Amino acid sequence: MIDFSTLQGNTLWERWQYFAQTTPDKEAIIHWRAAEEPIRWTYASLVKTANKFSVYLKNIGVKKGDVCAIIIRHNPFFYPLYLGITGIGALPSVLAYPNPRLHPEKFREGLEGMAQRSGLDWILTETALEEIILPFVKNEKTTVNELFFPLEWDLEREISADTMEKINEIRAAIKPEEPMLLQHSSGTTGLQKPVVLSHHAILRHVENFGKAIMLSEKDKVVSWLPLYHDMGLIAAYHVPLASGVPTIQIDPFEWVLAPILLFLAASEEKATLAWLPNFAYNLMADKLSDEEMEGISLESLRMITNCSEPVRAESHQKFFDRFKKFGFKENALAAMYAMAETTLTVSQTTPGIRATELSVNRDLLSNGKLELTDDDSKKRVCVSSGKLIDECELKIVDDTRNKLGNNGVGEIAVKSISMFSGYRNYPEKTAEVLDDEGWYYTGDVGFMHNDEVYVIGRKKDIIIVAGNNIYPEDVEDIVSKVENVIPGRVIAFGEYDPELGTEQVSVVAETKLENKKDFDKLRVDILRAGMNINVNIHSVYLVPPRWLIKSSSGKPSRKANKTRILNGNDEQVWSKK
Amino acid sequence: MISDRLKNIICKELNLDPASIEITDETQAPEVPGWDSLNHANIIVAIEKDYGVRFKGLEVLKCNNVGALQRLVDSKTAK
Repeated sequence: MIDFSTLQGNTLWERWQYFAQTTPDKEAIIHWRAAEEPIRWTYASLVKTANKFSVYLKNIGVKKGDVCAIIIRHNPFFYPLYLGITGIGALPSVLAYPNPRLHPEKFREGLEGMAQRSGLDWILTETALEEIILPFVKNEKTTVNELFFPLEWDLEREISADTMEKINEIRAAIKPEEPMLLQHSSGTTGLQKPVVLSHHAILRHVENFGKAIMLSEKDKVVSWLPLYHDMGLIAAYHVPLASGVPTIQIDPFEWVLAPILLFLAASEEKATLAWLPNFAYNLMADKLSDEEMEGISLESLRMITNCSEPVRAESHQKFFDRFKKFGFKENALAAMYAMAETTLTVSQTTPGIRATELSVNRDLLSNGKLELTDDDSKKRVCVSSGKLIDECELKIVDDTRNKLGNNGVGEIAVKSISMFSGYRNYPEKTAEVLDDEGWYYTGDVGFMHNDEVYVIGRKKDIIIVAGNNIYPEDVEDIVSKVENVIPGRVIAFGEYDPELGTEQVSVVAETKLENKKDFDKLRVDILRAGMNINVNIHSVYLVPPRWLIKSSSGKPSRKANKTRILNGNDEQVWSKK
Repeated sequence: MISDRLKNIICKELNLDPASIEITDETQAPEVPGWDSLNHANIIVAIEKDYGVRFKGLEVLKCNNVGALQRLVDSKTAK
């Protein structure tokens, strides 16, 4: 296991520099590309190129504390650029590369909302996106100074000693408690919450999490996770990079089309650690044929950790049953509980032991009571997210935020040394979730059993599709604007799809239309409206005027209408999935 | 050129009326309502089943539009 007490560096830059000096030829990042030779960064080559980016960034006017948004698709120069930003005390913030499905105007709107909230100062992107992003940068209201294309910069030029000295002066002035990065608590573009984390918070997390997963010099991470997502950015990028452990980075866009890439890379590189959202277990087990798996060995993988959406026992079993003959070990089935607000991990299952499964009484659980049962007709199998990592506390609270006793079921509140200090420029949201004693109220519902955390659902209405949080408000707003939908008379909710192992977005909309042909057309219009905000609406339920039940606030109630729809047997409801 | 058979498989999988949806050689997945990354795997499986062929992930990865997917199907069925 890595002895973290021996690792030097009180800031992330110092830590990377430490590895570049002590183990210059050690591999840091393996940039994986489908059917091509991977590109390998050593610590020395990474830091050397990062220095060049630092110089460029300083020359264009980037200053300490500035937020630099990076919108770059899988590219080997992403990594030294990211380091180079940190190397002059600015904050990298990775944003999602626009999916072709997303309407350019919606992408710009999302950027605008995010820029104002997060205070984006610079945008570093590719020339291919210039046309889409430029109108936003030229807009008078924008916070962004300018748009740059760092992949076009000439990195051949050597840095003079004088210039390097000035960069080093900037670096020496960076303090551990100062902000290091800005990540977004994942959500639909308009409603993302910016979280700023300090060098200290991240380095403490690297150590505490590293110990929890027994990280060793022999480990190698493999990941297709997007780096704008906390699990990809912290678990699969920052943690290995600040621990001297190589990480293999796969393009998320490529992985989703060819899920075999993860196993190909794991097998060829003998990777030991990976993180996946629950849907990926189902997708890979269902999609990968024996023919594609030919020659692949999963023996090296000691832990695949399930996180980012509710962990399902059936997904773990399906994955193990499918891949055991390729060397996948049962005790490599791990899980964790994590969020951007605590840098990442709150709890982690024990390495070498399959995530514990607990059969509890489903009905009692939904009424806030925990009772174990073996009765198949009554049980719900909950998967443990493991024990708390060091320097992290957790309590279960009731609706009035009073702490519940042993086996209480309620909202999960956490406190951690690696905690954020509040959402940037969002005091009202911060006040809602963070109390005076430093407890962060997560909105997740769960319980503790035998010192292990079990997450069973959410208090809020967020829909989690394949690890991405989608706010129903965003979907309802866009669907309300579709012709023939009665404005404001729409609800969106998540419907669990057991085959896919994730939730899918469902919409119920009131309409005055009456015949089936019109319904078909309206359904496609609603699907297209979702596409414009990069949300795939899976099920559309059309209902007549005044069908939706209102809540006390006068708005259609998501909960009551979801229950009514899922109960079925209502002749007034037209649907197609 | 896209065959009616391929178009029908895609539309059936996405519950779309083939008469009201235009799918050409140049059409890309994100332009078709409902064709997202999660449904992509289902569509590929439906095509494999209907034509009795198997695709490798890397072969599918190279298909950047429906025309390329049609050519992949054709190459597998030795048309």
